[in-house]
Amino acid sequence: MVKMNALEVENISKSFGDFYAVKNLTFNISEGTIYGLLGPNGAGKTTTIRMVMNIIIPDEGRIKVLDRKMDEEMKERIGYLPEDRGFYPKMKVGELLLFLAELKGMAKLDARKKINSWLGRFDLADWKDKKVEELSRGMQQKLQFIATVIHQPELIILDEPFSGLDPVNTKLLKDIMLEMKAEGRTVIFSTHRMEQVEMICDNICLINKAERILEGDLSQIKKQYGKNTVILDYEGDGCFIKDFPEIDRLDDYGKFMEIRLKEEIDPQVLLPKIVGKIRVNKFEVREPTLNAIFIEKVGARDEKDMVSH
Amino acid sequence: MKKIWSVIKREYLQIVKTKGFIIGTILGPVLMGAIIFVPFLVSVVSVGEQERIGVVDETHEIFEALDKKLDHKLKDGNRRYILEEYKPAADMEALRQDLNQKVLHKSLNAYLHIPGNVIEDGTAEYVSEHVSDFTKLRNINETLNSVIIEKRLRREGLDPRKIAQYIKRVGLKTIKVTKKGEEEDTGGTFLIAYILVLILYMTLFFYGAIIMRGVIEEKTSRVVEIVLSSLRPFQLMAGKILGIAAVGFTQYTIWAIFGFSATRYSKSLIVSIFPGASGFKLPSVPPYIFVYFVVFFILGYFLYGTFYAAIGSMVNSEKEAQQLLFPVTMFLVVPILLIMFVIRAPNSTFAVVLSLIPFFAPILMLLRICVLLPPFIQVAGSIGILLLTIFLMIWLTGKIYRVGILMYGKRPSFQEIVKWIRYK
Repeated sequence: MVKMNALEVENISKSFGDFYAVKNLTFNISEGTIYGLLGPNGAGKTTTIRMVMNIIIPDEGRIKVLDRKMDEEMKERIGYLPEDRGFYPKMKVGELLLFLAELKGMAKLDARKKINSWLGRFDLADWKDKKVEELSRGMQQKLQFIATVIHQPELIILDEPFSGLDPVNTKLLKDIMLEMKAEGRTVIFSTHRMEQVEMICDNICLINKAERILEGDLSQIKKQYGKNTVILDYEGDGCFIKDFPEIDRLDDYGKFMEIRLKEEIDPQVLLPKIVGKIRVNKFEVREPTLNAIFIEKVGARDEKDMVSH
Repeated sequence: MKKIWSVIKREYLQIVKTKGFIIGTILGPVLMGAIIFVPFLVSVVSVGEQERIGVVDETHEIFEALDKKLDHKLKDGNRRYILEEYKPAADMEALRQDLNQKVLHKSLNAYLHIPGNVIEDGTAEYVSEHVSDFTKLRNINETLNSVIIEKRLRREGLDPRKIAQYIKRVGLKTIKVTKKGEEEDTGGTFLIAYILVLILYMTLFFYGAIIMRGVIEEKTSRVVEIVLSSLRPFQLMAGKILGIAAVGFTQYTIWAIFGFSATRYSKSLIVSIFPGASGFKLPSVPPYIFVYFVVFFILGYFLYGTFYAAIGSMVNSEKEAQQLLFPVTMFLVVPILLIMFVIRAPNSTFAVVLSLIPFFAPILMLLRICVLLPPFIQVAGSIGILLLTIFLMIWLTGKIYRVGILMYGKRPSFQEIVKWIRYK
């Protein structure tokens, strides 16, 4: 059976005055996957997500959600965690969740049951009758996760979900995302933090300056970049390495280096040139990290821009 | 519609449950009552003070009569005015200087200088530190006037016994004619018009501010986008405005119950405590005035409510909103400044035109209806114009709200707002 697309975005554009926030963007997300929408700050990720949510209307293009044209009714089948998020501070936790669940079209009885079970799962049961403003930041974040998934949406859209989370809540959110995927739901999230994407995404779309610059299956994208990246874990002064003629790009983190070799260069030639000069703890030949691809793609554009301006 | 209902319910319950609402609802009528009844009670109860007034009578024939006639009494039965005669001196300038000092040192409250030719010329001088107590001035002026006229008539050789009858003042009783017939009106119409218009004015301000504060709160707490993931911006705005309207109705209903029981029982209460108040008459108010009051409250509420909602969506804090509120405040204050004018000439062209301007209509048309029911076509016209304006405002502010509510940072310029309205 062919999988349905949970989301189809076709040639959407949005401009605010002379400024293009999103330009001719196209991507498809198949059901039951986790999709990463990547890009530097200001690339147009949030605008794209708001258009998918029908909060902003695109100037051009077409959006289909769960095989139907996006409209107000579809909002009930989507769970959305915006980048700027907060609650009515004076409302009680239980009242707030009930209000949000009702807005998603849930019946009161069903909503109450779900609220209790989610609050219990996140150790917030005792806080049900407390005002939202009395909760700690971490608790409010948990509340936001609950509000996003309480109505069992088929599509979950998370805008910068990991920003500001502590490691405990980061893990909690990651677990929810994987759980949703296991249940056959689709998750889209935007971020500029590549480690998380590498860990959980099936497919990605990289946007920069309103336009798509990379899209597809994450492992295939990485494969395209070939196996000529070297991860070097070292001690000592590794400055001299960047002057080697074989090197295309290099990201030095002080104890750790990601080296991208020029095409046709065998990584093996590198090893003898550094042995003895610094202490090598690890020398690994692999695909580039998404971080390196991101910096290369986004950085290259910036350089080209500099020339053309 | 179900979603708007959820928003209405939330807005309503969130406000009605606050201490501020409960206190405001109870304190409102208490305050209103205080504003109306305290000056009245003060005037009924207060005894007042005796005043010492010096008199320089250059004619030598007025003081005695004036002293006899200026016999206004205080509540405790003592004379209100105590006159002291000062004989005219050769150097009038020095005498006046002396009297001025007495006034400044408070050994006299005032003095009256009656020149020698007053009977022919008819001008006397009243000198005091403050000359704005109109009742006092009228007392003195009228008494002096009648004393001098009497003198003039005596000079003409009229029978002194008949003079009092000749110069008797003519009274003027004010009677309001309505379709039901004649009714004596001792200023009650004015009082009712004034109270209703003030209530309307204050509540429009008050509920408008609540709407605006709510929008700003949604914006600054960043909850708005979560809510918008379930409904349209317009539904959120409509739900908020309707929910707060429901709060307004709750408050009005409570006040109306207070008000009706107060008018029923308060008079007998007041009279039993202060028998002197039995002359006070509560004016009867035709019920159509209350119907129009509700109509114009609803219309005014939606007109200004949308305005306030749009302003809330444009700014990031109440402080920032102050500047943008200026035109709204002007629209509300101008008709209040025109109250006296409209009461005096409710059917003048100027008043008619003003009461048709939509932003002034709720207050001024209601005022005109209270004072003198205007032709039906004018009332219907102003309601029609208001409805049209409201629809236009809802359309316009809906567009501003939709964009503004998601914009953080700098307050938008006028050009930017025009751009927002044009967005798809």
